[in-house]
Amino acid sequence: MVFVILYFALLLLLSCGAAYYNQRSAFLLLFSLTLVSLVLAIIGGIPALRFVAIAAGMLLAAGMMSYAFREFLTALASDEMAKELRTAPLTAAFGMFVIFIVAVMGIFAPAIAPHGEAEIISQAFAPPDNNMLLGADQLGRDMFSRIIYGARNTVALALCGTVLAFILGAMAGLLAATKGGFFDGTMGRIADVIMSIPSLIFALLMLSIFGGSLAAPSTSAWLLFGFAVIVGTLFLAAAAYSVLSWIIGAAIVVGVSFAFALAFTSVFDASEVILILVVAVIYSPRVFRLTRAVAGNVVVMDYIEAAKLRGEKNWYLIRREILPNSTAPLVAEFGLEFCFVFLLIAGLSFLGLGIQPPTADWGSMVRENATLISFGEITPLIPAAAIALLTVAVNFVVDWMLHRSSGLKE
Amino acid sequence: MGDILTLVGKRLGLGLIILLVISLIIFFMVELLPGDIAQAVLGQSATPENLAALRREMGLDQPAIVRYLAWLSEAITLDFGSSIVTDARVTEIIGERFMNTLFLAAYAAVIAVPVSIILGVIVALLRNSIFDRVANVISLSFISSPEFFLGYILILYFAVKWGMFPAIASLSEGMTFLELLQRTFLPALTLVLVVMAHMMRMTRAAIINLLASPYIEMARLKGAPPWKVIVKHALPNAWAPIINVVALNLAYLITGVVLVEVVFVYPGIGQALVDAVSKRDFPVVQACCLIFAATFILLNLAADVGAILTNPRLRHPK
Amino acid sequence: MTDIKDQMLLDRLAAAAREGKISRRSFMHYAAAAGLTTTAATGLWTGAAKAQPAKGGTFRLGMHDGNTSDTHDPGTYVTFSMIQVAHTYRSYLTLIEPDGSLGPDLASEWSASPDAKEWTFKINDNATFHSGNKVTANDVIASMNHHRGEETTSAAKALLADVEELIDNGDNSVTFVLASGNADLPWLMTDYHLAIVPANEDGTANWQSGDGSGPYKMEEAEFGVRYTLTRHDGWHLEGAYFDDLELIVLNDPNARQTALVTGDVDAVTQLELKTLALLQRDPNIEIDDVPSAAAITMPMLCDTAPFDNVDVRNALKLSLNRDELVEKIAFGAATKANDFHHSPAMPYFPEGIEQREYDPDQAKSLLQKAGAEGLTVNLSVADSVFSGAVDMCVLFAEHAKAAGITINVNREPNDGYYSDVWLKKPWCVVQWGARPTPDVMYSLAYKSDAAWNESRWQNERFNELLLQAKAELDDTKRAEMYREMAILAKDDGGTIIPFFPNFVYARRKNVQHGENLAPSWQMDGARACSRWWFADA
Repeated sequence: MVFVILYFALLLLLSCGAAYYNQRSAFLLLFSLTLVSLVLAIIGGIPALRFVAIAAGMLLAAGMMSYAFREFLTALASDEMAKELRTAPLTAAFGMFVIFIVAVMGIFAPAIAPHGEAEIISQAFAPPDNNMLLGADQLGRDMFSRIIYGARNTVALALCGTVLAFILGAMAGLLAATKGGFFDGTMGRIADVIMSIPSLIFALLMLSIFGGSLAAPSTSAWLLFGFAVIVGTLFLAAAAYSVLSWIIGAAIVVGVSFAFALAFTSVFDASEVILILVVAVIYSPRVFRLTRAVAGNVVVMDYIEAAKLRGEKNWYLIRREILPNSTAPLVAEFGLEFCFVFLLIAGLSFLGLGIQPPTADWGSMVRENATLISFGEITPLIPAAAIALLTVAVNFVVDWMLHRSSGLKE
Repeated sequence: MGDILTLVGKRLGLGLIILLVISLIIFFMVELLPGDIAQAVLGQSATPENLAALRREMGLDQPAIVRYLAWLSEAITLDFGSSIVTDARVTEIIGERFMNTLFLAAYAAVIAVPVSIILGVIVALLRNSIFDRVANVISLSFISSPEFFLGYILILYFAVKWGMFPAIASLSEGMTFLELLQRTFLPALTLVLVVMAHMMRMTRAAIINLLASPYIEMARLKGAPPWKVIVKHALPNAWAPIINVVALNLAYLITGVVLVEVVFVYPGIGQALVDAVSKRDFPVVQACCLIFAATFILLNLAADVGAILTNPRLRHPK
Repeated sequence: MTDIKDQMLLDRLAAAAREGKISRRSFMHYAAAAGLTTTAATGLWTGAAKAQPAKGGTFRLGMHDGNTSDTHDPGTYVTFSMIQVAHTYRSYLTLIEPDGSLGPDLASEWSASPDAKEWTFKINDNATFHSGNKVTANDVIASMNHHRGEETTSAAKALLADVEELIDNGDNSVTFVLASGNADLPWLMTDYHLAIVPANEDGTANWQSGDGSGPYKMEEAEFGVRYTLTRHDGWHLEGAYFDDLELIVLNDPNARQTALVTGDVDAVTQLELKTLALLQRDPNIEIDDVPSAAAITMPMLCDTAPFDNVDVRNALKLSLNRDELVEKIAFGAATKANDFHHSPAMPYFPEGIEQREYDPDQAKSLLQKAGAEGLTVNLSVADSVFSGAVDMCVLFAEHAKAAGITINVNREPNDGYYSDVWLKKPWCVVQWGARPTPDVMYSLAYKSDAAWNESRWQNERFNELLLQAKAELDDTKRAEMYREMAILAKDDGGTIIPFFPNFVYARRKNVQHGENLAPSWQMDGARACSRWWFADA
């Protein structure tokens, strides 16, 4: 009862305060919350009210956290950046905050996680206690630690996959837009072919062919090498303008690709490399199409004509004129694709083709415990919520960037 | 109008070439899969002799290219041959299932497309309000959770706890249309939730994107109310990207529903495809993939034509 | 009988017997405690439990493991759902009774020559196909020939490889002439491939029509999706209480479970073990947990380093904690195994062989002896082997750390696991279906020259015993031989057997069954449809 009185007193006080100081939106928000609470309290009684209060409190906490985080960032950033950051809505700040937390979790996972990733410390499905914040999973491993390690593994994989898809797709798209003609047509048709095969099936086939531990490290290294050479060739096609530069460029590409393949295979194991490549191949056509469309709009602009007349090379055009003018939609697309890649990996682990155990990843954690949900147990909701939170966060940031790029000032 | 027809003709021709390339890719991918049909059919209990006998019977002793050409020569006449495993006609295996898939896709689309476009317009109108944010967060949470998981949650509430809809969507002969709608409601709802966010967000983005253009500014200065500005002035020019996203999502409803089919035991084409892949049953895999690819190509074409038709500026290119 | 409490106890007992919750033995025990004479108790038992099966109702069964490419061909029956269906619309010569013994199906009686080389099966005179024709010796021979000969594509070819000739004796009986004596032939006839189908004019088997002589007649078969059947009225055995059947393929474990909870089906196969305890809370659901002859094996290739050293093999056998595996992976629904492939659910089980326990210290010293301290090995596994297979290996890897062994768990793709990993990778995980007798199992996967000798284990004495036991018609002598073989496999063999998984399936409360459940397949030896009934039909 005391809670009810205090709660409403606080809300009314705040609403009146907001009204007195002419804070229209704050007043509307607070007063509608008061009204909603009143209605819910009548219908649902105190538990419903408690729920609303907790939800509002959490929202408030998230809002304050985001605000503080934005101020923190503006304080740290350079002047120009700070100016940009100040325009970010609270949701975007919240998104950045979540991304920041996940990044910290991923990078410092071994230091943060109280237990090892594969360490079995208790009974299966043990309830939460002081030692295990979120309880145990089906083998008695600490859920909390696995969520933290999962951030590392899942995000790293999805990120690498998306980045590779972007490098390949964007490079091809930019080149197609600037070169046009036959190259443009061919690239477009290749993209059509890949996009016409349903992604899950495509992934299923590719992973069955190359995947699992059948993928010898050497196979995966060669595939990576091949991928890098293709990307490198695209770069060359854009940058090279004489026979000599082609030859030198080719040597550099081979060298760099080799180093890249070696570096990559030393970080990820063979099956993860294959997964990343499959994801990159499946998603690059989408990126290609978008880049081609955006760059296509830029290419016809007068300043590009002018640059061409000045005698600038393709590479200059791409780097100095086209790319800066198509960054915003590309970045926005990056956020979305990242989410899709994330979900594709989760879906693949549902079909049993994901990351090798006992490595924790959020997708397979959902899958391993999914049937529990039928009994109203929340264990599988935790990794699912983690996936959802990160995706929402990324999209909040993306929204802000889209908003900026649309040039709408309001 | 003539331009559009030539465009359609050109694109259809191109589509056929793409299908040919895809059939080649799929054929060699299935060839590359570890193991072959004979092993898949006989399972764990095969001896080398019966493997050899079965391979002979299935004609697997011929070189791959010969088999591909044989298949192709039939496929041109729209005869997709028989399943290697069961000997049943491919059209027979897939036909009904494809109809089921189409039905489910249509069911989901009929709900999802209008709702998400209307919601998209509303949130564009009320942009940056609480309503916008809430709709955004909710729809994002839906696309962010893996769809099989979404299915499980819906089953928990609608089937187990409240008993409103059946948990499994198996179909039987002699169901009335209403029964059918009720049986397949949960899978359809899952799909609706999965595809809605994308369409809604694109509608919102496409409209907001236009709000800075001078002619919208003009309309606003004229004193038109906000909803009129959006519905009458912004929306017509925003159709192109919206239609594109709708087409993409329709294609997804048909080609990407394997997981939903598994969760709800819905006899659609996705399940048949996964089964066929695991059995290396090439003609079935091929037919399914080609159907998917053709759907994708046709929907894309329809989207482009739709975009041109709704936008006079695209109809008369400079 | 006079005491009112006793009367209440008896009522409760009778009710329990009716619902199939209590076995005959405990019923008699409690009835005696309540002051009943044995005769009276037997009468009450038959009155309460035996007479209960009532006819009627449509039984809807949700089955796992169905594939669109399933067919009527008995030679390529491979999925579990097809095996289940096969036992419903077709018959076999013999069957495994609920108590695990061998019983008559189409063959009403059988006998062997003293050297076990000739077996004669007499066909039940009442047996008919759904088309109305009588089942004849000719049909049996055609059905068996479907799995024999050079050109056969049947997976049961190896099973009948020893059969030299099939003779129609003219009196509705068939004689099998074998190349070497086999005391197990009648047991082999229960194999799910050996369904009897009608013969064509030319003596080939007509499996395409889907005709059979089982308790139910196929109405509509949508392979990999659903099957509807109706009772075959002239069935030659007792049972078939349901009027109609609807067998639905539900591959997703969650779908099976929810369908059962919501009442969309009456029974389901293969429960997901991790949610067993939660499902048990549902008052409308009964779970059947039946020890089986199925097994999980982890074969190590004995001709490949480091497994070519018996000390390394035994060290690995010592470094897994079977109790924890049974508890955490099978959630208690399994029987601890002892590294020989002979489950207590099979005949001739050797009692009293010392159980191998988790002993990392001894494992360490064995490794030292073998000069392989700090051993690192790869273990291949796929999710599809069984639910929890990957988890099991992860757990094993944790256990083995205590013995200084590093096990790298390699998750292979489900697809193609048995063609690319099994028999090829040096160490992997395999699930074996139940086989009727130890001889079948050992000949299939442990005999030195068997195609599936999965651990490539060569042991002269073992192979010698195997041949002797096969033709031995004296049960005591046979049991002795199997005992020696078990010890050989345990101490020298290349296969780690952590446990024999139980069959765990569930039904709604109104579905009833007899006191025992056959251990050969899930759902009462895949014969639930003809053995079970509705209490409220």
